[in-house]
Amino acid sequence: MSFARWVAIYGPTYVTGLGWTAFIALWAAVGTIVWGCVLLLIRLSAARWPARAVDAYVQLFRNTPVLLPIYVIYFGFPLIGLQWPAVVCGGVALILQNGAYVSEILRGSLKAIDRVQFDAAKSIGLTPWNAFRKVVLPQVLVYSIPSLGNQVVLLLKDTSLLSAISVTELTMQAKLLTEQTGAAYESFIVVALLYLLLVSGTEVAFRATHRAVRWQ
Amino acid sequence: MRTSRVRQIWTALVVATLLITVTQAGAQEKSRLDVVLERGKLIVVTLTTVPPFAFNDDKGQLVGFDIDIARLIAQALFKDPSKVEFVSVTAEGRWPAIESGRADMGVGGTTTYPDRALRVAFTRPFIDSGISVLVSKKSGIKSLADLNQDKFTVANLNNPQMADRAKRFFPKTKVLTFDTPSAQFLAVRSGRANALQIDTPSAEYWAAQNKDEMEVLPGLLGASQNNGVFLKPGDFKWWLWLDTAVTEMRTGSWYPQYTEIYQKWFGRNPPAQKFYLHP
Repeated sequence: MSFARWVAIYGPTYVTGLGWTAFIALWAAVGTIVWGCVLLLIRLSAARWPARAVDAYVQLFRNTPVLLPIYVIYFGFPLIGLQWPAVVCGGVALILQNGAYVSEILRGSLKAIDRVQFDAAKSIGLTPWNAFRKVVLPQVLVYSIPSLGNQVVLLLKDTSLLSAISVTELTMQAKLLTEQTGAAYESFIVVALLYLLLVSGTEVAFRATHRAVRWQ
Repeated sequence: MRTSRVRQIWTALVVATLLITVTQAGAQEKSRLDVVLERGKLIVVTLTTVPPFAFNDDKGQLVGFDIDIARLIAQALFKDPSKVEFVSVTAEGRWPAIESGRADMGVGGTTTYPDRALRVAFTRPFIDSGISVLVSKKSGIKSLADLNQDKFTVANLNNPQMADRAKRFFPKTKVLTFDTPSAQFLAVRSGRANALQIDTPSAEYWAAQNKDEMEVLPGLLGASQNNGVFLKPGDFKWWLWLDTAVTEMRTGSWYPQYTEIYQKWFGRNPPAQKFYLHP
């Protein structure tokens, strides 16, 4: 079968897979950044034990493969009565792990911001929370855009692991097509190209955003 | 000056490519049988989560009926059952492993289907199989008719035959698709699915291991089936040798060794060596 015919016949199958992959990656990416901010805030809080707990959490998730939380949430949670759909289980697992990385990225950017800015913000009458929210956090996010882009790309590629828990995203579609047709090379080459497209698009979007919002 | 150097490099590259192509073309004409004999080791692709065909035992060793069959083939090739390297894959990984030449042959609860035989060659079967349904006892499913309700979910493996059977025998049931039998099993165990379909011996094995939780529904999904050794098509010498080895196990000179393996995994004798011989 020629490559063009392959794409013509199985194109729609790939589009379905592409849709799922993009959908999961999108909401998981948003969730990851929000969760990373929350973790950062807890870590910065004055209380010692919550900060330590976040520290332990980050260590735990940075040092384990993401397939593990995916399996635990999908196959383990039903045992305690939580039957979330596979897409939710996979997305939550991705958020939990990537959020740990993102909180570290944000912490790194925070260190690049001069403490004098806190004092300046306070001196014009902002409360500490407002100083953080209106002065510091926007800068932290802007500084972090390139690294966040990297993390989102990693997350996007990790969505392929959701094929292990019956989510019909791109990789699963390739697996099904391989079983259906035996044409392993064709099915996976197309998938590789589609991932390349998605990842390049994400990178371009992050670079454009960074260019638009950074201070010259 | 610079152009001529570039040209030299190009010429060298083209010559190298040609040489590689020529040598590879030469290698392709050689049968896999000779390659295997020269290498002194058989490379076998297999699933590793389909008990009792191929799975890891308590000590983490790969064991099973199909594994022993592969070892018996190694015994015939090298007079040494340990001269086998197993390549472990997910369900759909079996075909490219064969197509790419990564493995010499494959086993692992693999059913012969005419449409599958378009892309890999099969020997005649080394064991009869069939597809059964394993259900969780909690679900209260007692028959295929019970299963055919939209409140139930069945765990499939990602091959089209599974999808076809689901449409034919329980069209109303919801379907989840996994890439390994162990994930199917886990889905039933965790309550993600109420049932799964798999080769009868595997279903029976899991039911026996989890007597309180699971049972096998009576009846097969469709007909009795054949599980064979699969290999790259087009290599007559290698196919003929493997097919001869399988024939000898089931009906000929190696029937005693075959019987021993069969007894070990299924606790009963294999089908009679020849239908006209009395057991």
